[in-house]
Amino acid sequence: MMIGEKLDPRKTFGAAIDELAEQNDRIVVMSADSGGSSGHKAFMKNHPDRYYECGIMEQGVTGIAAGLATTGKIPVFCAIAPFVTCRNYEMARNDLGYMRQNVKLVGRNSGFTYSDLGATHHSLEDFAIMRMIPGMVVLAPQDPSEIVSACKAMIEHEGPVYMRIGNPAMEVLWEQKEFVIGKGNVLTDGDDLTLVTTGTVTVDALKAVELLKSKGVSVRLIGMPTVWPLDEELLIESSKKTGKVMVVEEHYISGGLGGAIAELLGEKCPVPVKRHGIPMLYATSGPYNELLSYYKLDAPGIAETALAFLGK
Amino acid sequence: MKTQKAELLQLELTAYRCRRNILRMIEAGHHGHFGGAFSSVDIVTALYFYKMKIDPKNPKWEGRDRFLLSAGHKCMSQYGVLAERGFFDKSVLDTYGSLYSKIPGHPDMYKLPGVEANTGALGHGLSIATGMALGLKNQGSNVYVVMGDGEQAEGSNWEAAAAAAHHRADNLVAFVDWNGLQISGRTKDVMNFAPIGEKYAAFGWAVREIDGNDMGQIVEALDAVPFEKGKPSMIIAHTVKGKGVSFLEDTAACHFWTPKGDELERAKAEVEARIAELEKAVKEAE
Repeated sequence: MMIGEKLDPRKTFGAAIDELAEQNDRIVVMSADSGGSSGHKAFMKNHPDRYYECGIMEQGVTGIAAGLATTGKIPVFCAIAPFVTCRNYEMARNDLGYMRQNVKLVGRNSGFTYSDLGATHHSLEDFAIMRMIPGMVVLAPQDPSEIVSACKAMIEHEGPVYMRIGNPAMEVLWEQKEFVIGKGNVLTDGDDLTLVTTGTVTVDALKAVELLKSKGVSVRLIGMPTVWPLDEELLIESSKKTGKVMVVEEHYISGGLGGAIAELLGEKCPVPVKRHGIPMLYATSGPYNELLSYYKLDAPGIAETALAFLGK
Repeated sequence: MKTQKAELLQLELTAYRCRRNILRMIEAGHHGHFGGAFSSVDIVTALYFYKMKIDPKNPKWEGRDRFLLSAGHKCMSQYGVLAERGFFDKSVLDTYGSLYSKIPGHPDMYKLPGVEANTGALGHGLSIATGMALGLKNQGSNVYVVMGDGEQAEGSNWEAAAAAAHHRADNLVAFVDWNGLQISGRTKDVMNFAPIGEKYAAFGWAVREIDGNDMGQIVEALDAVPFEKGKPSMIIAHTVKGKGVSFLEDTAACHFWTPKGDELERAKAEVEARIAELEKAVKEAE
């Protein structure tokens, strides 16, 4: 993996799980006719006895995964994001959350990365609904290196995890480093604004920071690949330092990372907070890059929103 | 192996002692899901006292068979049996309905030893049981699950039914407690799923139909599982809702029962009379 190269997030995820499965025979992969397109082709070939194809039944698969987990297995179930979060929500809530089962749900083609396929295939509420399940960890790695390290952390974590990955090829932003669940990273330091980013939009947030720098705005950019639980300490410290916080995410403005941070800071460190994401509407469809631009989630859009928030 | 008459009578007696435990919970909590508990308790008794590999002193023993209620509201059936089998002290029965009770209105695996799943929302149990069966297949443990008949309308059951058959989970044994009643009335009028056995057979299960309140038929079916190698087994258990308390039997109203007037005393009297009869019959048969 070379910095700057673009890699398929699904293949990156699937290869990471296959590699982890070589060392850990508790890992099993579940499929709702979704395994091959989730990057699991190597796993299917290497571990056919640990691959459970069930056809298109996300509710059933989630329950079956819970049952397998009670016997010590670590089921990994990846499919299109709305189908492993909305369709099977009660199974995630009861069979994984309430039963505290060690199952890893992975929503791929998340946010609106399924772009022109439309709102049925978008997931713009997954952070919100999954963080409402007590004990559920919510991850959104920001580049291929972080997908690999997040997979390792997800498998090592005892308990249910929801991880979201995108669809288009993703730029490698960093050398691979250890993924610590619940910890954010200061990606650039600055004094005028704390900008918090997660998942697929981080690549644009980094570019937006450069645009803002050229306008004389100094940004403290926090990468938050764990959406839940929040890194409260880092968020409060940064809020105190910059006095203003903006959160950018490929998610509805309600309930997601921005909502969670607004809840936290409203109680523990009240500062102006700008939630920047998708308004509470079914997003339109079209090419991914054009959607990013339409909803001002590309670098110029993020910079423009930040300047407006700062009154500049 | 033909089970001896005395053994069957003893199982029947145990099932009525479990019914006594259920009434004790209802007395403590002033209400409860009575009807399904009484219709299913003969099956649950046979599982815990006749069939399953379990160790009440070591409820997490890895080699154990698993039991779960997909129809979690029938939990007093399981609580009554677990108490009788020695999983916990019977004084716990008197906490039903109270704060901090280990025996809530739907089962909680982290509160009570012997409970394997947190059920209550319908249509979850068969999927969980299928996963358990697949995970335990090489270990030689069986998984037993009791479902309700009204619950059959939940589509997720049919997802699990297909997956269990497709993955040849022949260590999975399911019962449908077919008492024919649900909250709103006769199951055939609310949403008719008959003929239920043919549906499961069409999904690839090996199916038998029995009288689920007849201990002899329950034991005979349990002796025969798996009915067919490579297939999950389905036992359609024709039962009577509220079986054992004559004035509540076969009524939708007893689904969730809040005893009024002398109803509880009358119910207890009927169950105690049956226990006395069966104690006598057991002695005579020995």
